[in-house]
Amino acid sequence: MASGLDFESVVADYYEPLYQFAFSLTRAEADACDLTQQTFYVWATKGHQLRDTSKVKTWLFTTLHRAFLESRRRQTRFPHYELSEVPLELPVLSPATANQLDSPQVLRALSQVDEIYQAPVALFYLEDCSYKEIAEILNVPLGTVKSRMARGIAQLQSILTSGDQANPIKKSE
Amino acid sequence: MNNQQAKEILALYRPGTADAEDPFFAEALQRCDREPELKRWFDEHCTVYTAIRARFKQIAVPEGLKQQILSECTARAKIIWWQRPELLAVAAAIALLMGLAVFWLRTPRPGEDTFGHYSTRMTGIARRGDYLMDFETNDLTQIRSYLAQHHAPADYVLPAGLRKVAATGCAVEGWQNTKASMICFRTGKPLPPGEANDLWLFVIDRSAVKDAPASSAPQFAKVNRFITATWAQGDRLYLLLTEGDQRTIQQYL
Repeated sequence: MASGLDFESVVADYYEPLYQFAFSLTRAEADACDLTQQTFYVWATKGHQLRDTSKVKTWLFTTLHRAFLESRRRQTRFPHYELSEVPLELPVLSPATANQLDSPQVLRALSQVDEIYQAPVALFYLEDCSYKEIAEILNVPLGTVKSRMARGIAQLQSILTSGDQANPIKKSE
Repeated sequence: MNNQQAKEILALYRPGTADAEDPFFAEALQRCDREPELKRWFDEHCTVYTAIRARFKQIAVPEGLKQQILSECTARAKIIWWQRPELLAVAAAIALLMGLAVFWLRTPRPGEDTFGHYSTRMTGIARRGDYLMDFETNDLTQIRSYLAQHHAPADYVLPAGLRKVAATGCAVEGWQNTKASMICFRTGKPLPPGEANDLWLFVIDRSAVKDAPASSAPQFAKVNRFITATWAQGDRLYLLLTEGDQRTIQQYL
């Protein structure tokens, strides 16, 4: 394990934000617990390979995201998006509507955002990672992260504005 | 930069974070000071961001998750500690103390020999596929012989439901200086690629597990997507694990 870091304090510092990220992606407690446990299991076995202790948070979120993608890999493949051809729309949610939302509504709406945008959007709202760190976590270039976030946020807010999370309005691509 | 371009940039701005110092946002933020309409839009964006972030942060973390993580991974982390070359060198330098260290390591620490730890450790092994099958066969008689030859519990009694399921092999797992038998089965349900088993039975000497259930009536516990059934029979403690709920596992008892 990275020197100077003991396992318990790493767990104490990060298990809650990791679980919240996992739950945002899976919307299922059991799956989120599994992903969080799997992440720390990998940390227990491979964490010592990390030389830069300031990267622990990024390392853990990257590991969890990879585990999530791996679990999804068998079910479906991500559709291919040509981001540069998709016109950017600005978010549309009003403060009054935003203040009336509850957590399950927001997560239901997130589940209806195109899958490729879900992790960037969750990290946008949940974590105080820099965009560079988010790019590392998602293993995509910085510009791609920003494009995906912008489009994901616009989709999320459009769904929340429509007020019908069971029958979402998705952007055509 | 016009207001529309500034909005496209500021849509990614997160108030209360290091974004305030990020040069990416600097010009658009400066423009807010000069453009009232842009400033109004930006204030609304910050309010909406804060409201939605609060909803994400309200996701409740299950009680006991931290303890579950610690109890499953701590034992593994200790093993890895001894696998690190630089620490092995240090260990060699203090070889004189190894006798004492071995004695210390072989003595279960308070709380580490409990049923809770045993259950978490064994279910973790099965769920994560963290084992190598020592002996692969569908023949239950050969599995029993193999386990007996390797001094693991082999006098177990399989429940009627389990006798109808195809065995795939077995492994001997260690637990606090005691051997546990792991017998693997395949129920016949579709399995993800690369996985060969979806039902596992662990058998261990009941006296090796503190607070082990003494009842022959199965006790059920949910472990994320999995379910365990635990019961005692004679000197043996049985732990059966599969994905699903209580109804799923009951058909194998």
